[in-house]
Order: sequence, then structure tokens, then C-alpha cells
Amino acid sequence: MAGLTIDFTDERLPNGLRLVIAEDHAAPVVAINIWYGVGSKHEVPGKTGFAHLFEHVMFQGSAHVAKAEHIGLIQEVGGTMNGTTWLDRTNYFETVPSHQLELVLWLEADRMGTLLEALSQENLDNQREVVKNEKRWSYDNRPYGSWVERILAGSYPAEHPYHHSTIGSMADLDAASLDDVRAFFRTHYAPNNAVLSVVGDVDPGQVRAWVDGYFGRIPANPALPVDLGDLSLPPTFGGERRETVVEQVPLPRIYWAFRAPVFGDPRLDALELAGQILVGGKGSRLHRRLVRDEQLAQDVSLFSLGLIGGASVTAGWATARPGVDLNRLEAAYWEELQRLATEPPSDDELARAKALTETDELGALQRVEERADRLSMYATLFDDPGVVNEILPRYLTVTAEQIRDACRDVFRADNRFVLTYLPAETATADTEAAA
Amino acid sequence: MSVDSGTTVAKRPVAGEPRPYTFPAFTRTHLDNGLAVIAVDLPGRSLLSGVLVMLGGAADDPDDEAGATVLMGRALSEGTELHDAVAFVEATERLGASIHAEVGWDSVSISVEVPAARFPAALGLAAEMAELPTFPAGDVERLRDERLNDLLQARADPRRRAEDAFIETIYAPSSPYRHSAAGTRETVERLGPAEVRAARSRGFDPGSMTLLVGGDLTGVDVHELAAARFGDWRPDPAAAGSGLVDAAAASRERRIRVVHRPGAVQTEIRIGHPGLARRIPDFHAVAVMSTLLGGLFNSRLNRRLREEKGYTYGASAGFDLRRSAGPFSARAAVNTDVTVPAVVDMMAELERIRTSPPSEAEVRAARDFLIGVFPLRFETPDAVIGSLSSLVVQGLPDDELARYRPAVEGVDVDAAFEAARAHVRPQEAAIVLVGDADAFLPALEAADLGPITVDREGPTSSEASDVDAA
Repeated sequence: MAGLTIDFTDERLPNGLRLVIAEDHAAPVVAINIWYGVGSKHEVPGKTGFAHLFEHVMFQGSAHVAKAEHIGLIQEVGGTMNGTTWLDRTNYFETVPSHQLELVLWLEADRMGTLLEALSQENLDNQREVVKNEKRWSYDNRPYGSWVERILAGSYPAEHPYHHSTIGSMADLDAASLDDVRAFFRTHYAPNNAVLSVVGDVDPGQVRAWVDGYFGRIPANPALPVDLGDLSLPPTFGGERRETVVEQVPLPRIYWAFRAPVFGDPRLDALELAGQILVGGKGSRLHRRLVRDEQLAQDVSLFSLGLIGGASVTAGWATARPGVDLNRLEAAYWEELQRLATEPPSDDELARAKALTETDELGALQRVEERADRLSMYATLFDDPGVVNEILPRYLTVTAEQIRDACRDVFRADNRFVLTYLPAETATADTEAAA
Repeated sequence: MSVDSGTTVAKRPVAGEPRPYTFPAFTRTHLDNGLAVIAVDLPGRSLLSGVLVMLGGAADDPDDEAGATVLMGRALSEGTELHDAVAFVEATERLGASIHAEVGWDSVSISVEVPAARFPAALGLAAEMAELPTFPAGDVERLRDERLNDLLQARADPRRRAEDAFIETIYAPSSPYRHSAAGTRETVERLGPAEVRAARSRGFDPGSMTLLVGGDLTGVDVHELAAARFGDWRPDPAAAGSGLVDAAAASRERRIRVVHRPGAVQTEIRIGHPGLARRIPDFHAVAVMSTLLGGLFNSRLNRRLREEKGYTYGASAGFDLRRSAGPFSARAAVNTDVTVPAVVDMMAELERIRTSPPSEAEVRAARDFLIGVFPLRFETPDAVIGSLSSLVVQGLPDDELARYRPAVEGVDVDAAFEAARAHVRPQEAAIVLVGDADAFLPALEAADLGPITVDREGPTSSEASDVDAA
């Protein structure tokens, strides 16, 4: 089955803004997605969580837009929007009826060019409280909610910028100042650090004219890119790591994390297929054995957080059924990883994994919002939006041996971090952290 | 605010001409056994989406078998008379298809989404799952135990705990809406293959079911395909179908229920009462009103609680419209020390929406959002099929979606205000708080919002040891 090919144009304004346009007139809709090459990895010590707090400030107004008006205007034209912050980048996106595109470009340009003109202590303080509530909601007041923070802290050395999560710490959020906002904006929020993708029911000539008109006068920052130094890491942890957390959780859960190749490395494609084989559906190996046959687990998971700086993390979990011996659960999960690291999957298993992956990819790419996101992602991380058309063929040509080899390199006893959550009442061990 | 800043342009663009949009046309035919077949051609959409929908869902479970339909939905893929469970799932995966059943209050849907070339084969597997499931006892019991474990997880998760406490507080004991569609610990423990079979036979009758197929139908004759896959399925005149659902309120008095979670850093707030059914004459006015109250980012609730006060990551309100009156709720998660001020603000907004009319600008913003976002909602075949399926389930006319935008356009300030006065009733609302009661009880009592009860139950995981995997 042939995949869907996305035709696009790729150009730069004189100030460095990269513009990617893909036409699709199937629906009267357009998606735009701006990726800025700044993420939590650019935060300085004592300022964790700042890139994300800054993302919130981007909705607090600019020279010609009042606080909360950006979102108000988008919604009033029937659009949807959001922003997200990740370790490697921050993005802002809107999907609107196509005749409203010019408004969206104007709004994005205004905050890229003039955010600081509307900056106030009151708005910063307000969004600091909002973000602290986001942290409470997403991490602190949620069973197992600290797992991302713990997995990152356990998988990257303290001096590596992936050691801390995007949400940061309450103390660091409290320490964020207006000067921090100004410095961060002036350093990172420049057209030559941004990719703007426009996908949907548009006239490319008109898009170029608008983008030139609204973004063209925003000056580049010649000091970019920011040098983060050498982020490279050894290919494995070099030893097993363990941590046990005793908390108010209803059922024990074991998380695993492994150091994995960087995003873009073909071995990570092979691990994606491995994930499909291990947990991709009810027919997958871990589901079949742990959930269905041996009934050790309530649920199982395995996925990769693809990152470009030094190493990615491949992580997974299994939630224990009540009364299950956790050693048995851990051993069974591990055995299945080892089995795939030793023997290539069968032809039928691989074909099933590829068929499911193909449907997933085609499903995701149906939406203009996803296409705009991916074009900006590949342009930002790999300097090539065309990777969007290579991903599915890459998945579909992964071999059984490549899957085995990637699993063998990653699922090693000296490359695993095992994080166990135990219910507070039934736990006997105190929190421990062993090397 | 009027001159160019030098780097950006002060003048706001004016919108271009909107491209016309009409909800996709569809055709409806019937097989000899009565199965209705709806087809929607969506050129260029190479993934086809198919849904077989049964009328009747979790709301139709007998009181002491609550959760049976949800369990049935999960057990449908556990094997058929032609394939055991493993062979069945492998057959679907070879097609790159995920075939799954979803159970709601009012319906059960078997969905399949797959590239067009594999659609006929995938639809055949969906038909097999619908017509010939075997519900092996061991698998049904395993799924039942998974559900019991999930109920444990729900008690420990503040969000799910708040949802459960809220509906249990607002609905009378006679209403199935009083508990989650998946049932309670007491009812789920009783479920086995017999109850699951009974749940299926309540509605799995081709004479009352509908098959919907959407996507690029070039070269696909949906009626012929449906006839080939479902034509031999015999009607079941004994199927009871769906009936009326009791949505009686537990009380018409304001009251407060606190579920104590020692040390919680946030309080989950739910405020509301039994709301509305989907089939109501003022549906569009309700949509506009609830959008400006708690749907938009700049809705009254989010603007006040998040953007002015910083109490929360988000506050919202809305109606869950079902066959009978689903809940109306206003909701937020706030840091513990602002619990009472946040509740007071939320109550104030629920009063204000019904004591003074909304502004023209607020109504226009809500209306324009609903009208503008409508085409965005229907970008993919599964979204189009999903909305058509809910028309079928709720017994709405075929032109309901086509007339949605003009109907919303017609909602004015008076209609939105009237909807609020008729349907938002803070004086009858339950206020449910899941959080650290010790941190806010004195302030809550001082606020004098209504009589308070506090659940101080044991540790959330104490029941874990009662559930055995065997």
C-alpha cells in the first residue's frame, strides 16, 4: 500500500525565518505550526521549567494584542490552538478556517516581534501560578505522576540538560523574573530560530506575501545558534540503576528506562517496530503473556522519547495485578525484551507490526495539524522537512535482524533503570536508590 | 496600539471570503434483514472508517448488573465461532486494522479503520465479532478482574474520584447515571459470561442496527459490501433495544460533599446537577450559552479562575447530553489553599449567567466559535462517521448536522440568557470537593454555601488486597 506523499515548498526569508508550505484543498481548513529551536535543554541552572513558563507568557499579549486576546481571536474565528514545550523545542500552532489565515500569521508575527512590549509583572505572576497548578495537576496530584521526572533524572547525568523535565521545580518557577523573560526572548525567539509551516487550503503566493509582510521586518539574532556544548553520552548507562518509590498508589507499577540512540538514528526506527511487536496491541508479546496468559499485569507499555542531544530514552511500564510477586513480573517483562534481543521476530509478526504502523501513520497524517507539526519538526531537528515522506518507508523496510540488533544494543542489564512504585500501606522497603 | 512598532504591523487583517462548507451528504439503504447502511463519500480520504452501531448501552444494564455492557464490549474480541481470541486479533493485525468495541451510555459501537484495499476483509472480521462472539468464561473473568483493578485505580486518582463522587451525589439511587458506565465494585463482582451474553442480546439485532462507512468510496459499493458481510445475519425479534433512562436528581437542595485526601496539593472541584438530554428544542442555545460560560478559553469561568486569579490550569463547564439528562458540571482543579475562594468564584459565575444577560460580544464569540470550528471537526472520516452515528443513536433527523450552523447563527442574547435561566440551577447544585479537607474546612464552613458532609475514608489502596487475580 503506497503511503501518502506530502508535496511542499521550503524557503527562507532574508531574516532567516524558514517557511514550509503544503497545499491541500480537501477541506476549507489551514494549520500553521511554528517550531522554535528552544526547549527545556536551554534552561540555565536554577531556572528549570522556564522555557515552559515562557511559552505561557507568549499568550499574554504583545504590542498590538492584549492579554488572552490571541486565544480569544483564534477561537472567535472557529479555530483551535495551543503551544507545547519539550526538551528540544517549543511550538505554537493554530488550525483555522482557511479564510482566516492572515489573522493567524499576523498574531504569530506580533508576538515573535514585540512580545516584550506587553510584558508585565502581573501577567508573569499570574502565569507562574497557572503553571504551578499545571505541575500539581499533571505531576504532583496524580498517581505515579513523578515518573517522567524520575526517568529523566535517572537516565541523564546531573550536568546534562535532559536531566530535568520541562515542568521544572516549584522553587525555580518562583525564581523566574521579568529579566529572565527578556533575556530568553532576545536570545531564542528570533526568526532565524523558527520554522513556520503552513498546511491546507491556501494559495502559496498569497502565503509568501503575507509572511513577508508580517514577519519580514523582525530582525534576526546573529548570535544564534546557542552552543550547548558537547551533549554526547556513552551508549549505555554502564550499570544497572534502581529506585523504589513508596507512594499513595493503588497498585505497584514497575517502570523501565534504557539509554537509546538519538532521534533520527535508524536503530530508533527499529525500536519503534520492536515496540509495536512488544506492546502494540492485544496480539503483542508483552500484552499476550503478562496481561492475558499469566495475568501478572493490569497493563503494559513501551515507547521511546526521541531526543537529538546525545541519547534518547526508551521506556516502558507494567502495572502489577494485586498480590502479584513483583520479581516475577519484572522477570517476565525482561524475558520478553531479551527474547526479541536474541531472536529476530517471525515474518508474520513483523508484517503485522508494519501493517499496524502503516495504518497509524496514515491516520495521523490525515490531519493538516499533524502534517504542519511534522514538517516543522523535521526542518527544526534535521534541517529537512522532507523527512516527513521518508518515515513510513523507513519503518516498512526495517528488517527482523535490525529489530533484534537494536534490542540487543538497548535492552541490556547494564543499560536499565528500574523504577518501582509501591503502595504506601503495603510497602515494607523504604525509598532506596542504588547504582 | 495604532502605529506600527517598527518590527510588526499594527493593523489587524480582515478575514477573506469564507469558502462554503456543507456537511458531507450521505445515503441510507437497508438490507433485507433490516440493517440500515449509511455511506459517506469523502474524496481523497484513503483510510476508510466503518462503524456498526447498536442502540442501547450502559444505561440499559439492570441495576444489579451495572457494567455488563462495558464488559461485553471488552469481551467481544475474545474469540468468535471461527477464530479463537489470538487468531482473531492476529487476523485483524495482518490487515493493519484495529477493530474495537466502544460502549457508551446509549450505544455500543464496533469500529474499524483501515486503508481502503483492506476494508472489505476488515469489515468481515467486524461482522464476525458482532455476530459470532463466544465470550469464553476464563477471558470474561479476566476482563472483569481487570475492571475491578481499574476501579481501584479510579479511587486513587483525584480526577476520577471526583467524577465518581459527583455523579453519586447528584443522581438518585434509582438512576444508572449515579455510577460510572463501567459499574461499581458491587455490581462488577457479579458479572460473568451469562450477564455479558444478556447485554449483547439486548441490542445486537440487525433489524435495529446501523452500519456507517465513510472515506473515499471510489470503486466501493457499500451496500453490496454490507450485504456480503452482514446479509446472512438473522434478525432477533427478542432484542429489547433501548428504553427510557431514569435521570432523577438526588436532591433539589444545595449541598457540599468533601472527599478527604490527606496532603493533596490540589482540590478537584465539581459543581452541578442533573442537566439535559440531547433531544431538546433549545439545543443550539444551550451550546452557545455553555460555550461562553465554560467552553472557550475566554469563557467566564476560565477567564476569572485562570487568567485573572491563577487558581487553576483550567476551569470549564458544560452539559453531557445523553438519551436522558446527563450531568451539568462546572469543574476545576485548584491549589489547596485557594479552594474556598475558587468555589465562591465559580458559584458567583453560575449565579451571574442566570441573573443578567450575556453581552452581545460574548454571545457572538461563542456563536462564531461553534460555527467556525464545525468544519474543523470533520476533517477525517472517523469524525464524520462518529457524528452521524450519534444522530442515529439519539434519534435525530437526517438534516441535523446540515442545519447546525444556521441554527447556531440564530441564537441571540435572549435565547442564550433564557437557556441559562432554564438550565443552570446553582441553588440546586451539589458542590463536590476532593482534596485535603483539613486545609480548607473552616473556611468552607465560614463561606456558608450549604450543608457539608465529609468522607473520611481509609487509605485509598487499602482495598487492593481484597481483589485477587485468580
